[in-house]
Amino acid sequence: MRLVSGNLVRLLGYTEVFLCIVGLGLLVARKQWRDYSWLGTFLGIRAGSSLLLIGIHQIVSPLFGARAAYNYYACVYWATAAIESVVTLMIVYSVFKLAMAPLKGLQTLGMLVFKWAAGISVAVALGNAFTPNSAGSYLLTAISQLQRTQSILTLCLLLFVTFAIRPMGLSYSSRIFGVGLGLGIMSTTDLVQSAWTAYHQSINSTYNLIFGVVSCSIFMLWNVYFALPEPKRRIIVLPTTSPFLRWNQISQALGDEPGFVAVGGVPPEVFAPAELEIMRRASAKMPAAAGFPMPKVTDFPASAKRAASSAI
Amino acid sequence: MKTIVRSFVVVLALTGAIATTAIPAASAKTSVSAVKTSAMPQPRCPLNSPDGCGMNQW
Repeated sequence: MRLVSGNLVRLLGYTEVFLCIVGLGLLVARKQWRDYSWLGTFLGIRAGSSLLLIGIHQIVSPLFGARAAYNYYACVYWATAAIESVVTLMIVYSVFKLAMAPLKGLQTLGMLVFKWAAGISVAVALGNAFTPNSAGSYLLTAISQLQRTQSILTLCLLLFVTFAIRPMGLSYSSRIFGVGLGLGIMSTTDLVQSAWTAYHQSINSTYNLIFGVVSCSIFMLWNVYFALPEPKRRIIVLPTTSPFLRWNQISQALGDEPGFVAVGGVPPEVFAPAELEIMRRASAKMPAAAGFPMPKVTDFPASAKRAASSAI
Repeated sequence: MKTIVRSFVVVLALTGAIATTAIPAASAKTSVSAVKTSAMPQPRCPLNSPDGCGMNQW
């Protein structure tokens, strides 16, 4: 049973590397690298790390013994897990950016919120790592925390993309949704695995098979999404009362350069003669406002008395 | 189709949320909880484990 399980784990490892390479090829062949460069980076890192781990298991273990091999294996595994966690955050960021592309205002606002959330996640992860309870394993604790916060952020993105798919002009066949779904499955599995780890203190566990199958299924899912032609984005038609439309307009206005209004202390000398003449005539026609005396024509100096150079 | 996909996503999110609540209790039992969903087995022991955490058994 153990031999069969071991062979299956190795087979799944090779399959994972193969699927990652196919995924990279599809990204390049479909000319999607510009939009999904972080996903490509993730696939490259995963293929490289899995190859390295297989190499350590197959070559280092017989040569230097199980203990040395395990140390190398664990270091490579945890280091690549940390890198992949950061790259996954970048994938989530790029997927959100792509999904929100038609709604520029919300995109800008969402990306700002995302940057803050990601920054706080990293700060909290590092903060939790350097507590007295994490004696000796600061790096591991930081990686674990970062993974958890990244997983939660990813699930939030997936929920958002799933429930706001229509206002964004997407469908469930869109690659944006496919990538989000794959990341969501991966994040849930990561969280379940984190809770599971404590009860199975051996690298050789049948549960490896389950997680291996899930991992290969995710890469297969991405490959299918990138192999099939993507349906074009629908024309987005929103009712005028749509909160998406309203918030998009508000967000767009928020990013504008502000105009400036002189509210007081403006001497008449700063105005050009023509401007003064216009104001003088306008004030002559203005009805008296309640509580304020109507400005007199004589409040404004006559333009003929002032040269243009003195006004400047 | 829409309902199935939405239900699946909600189940994923709920599973993740439930797992998150179980992680602190699990973390108290072990110093190793850094994981990634991979076909390669996850190292579950601290470094310098006596038998290499069962490295030769798979």
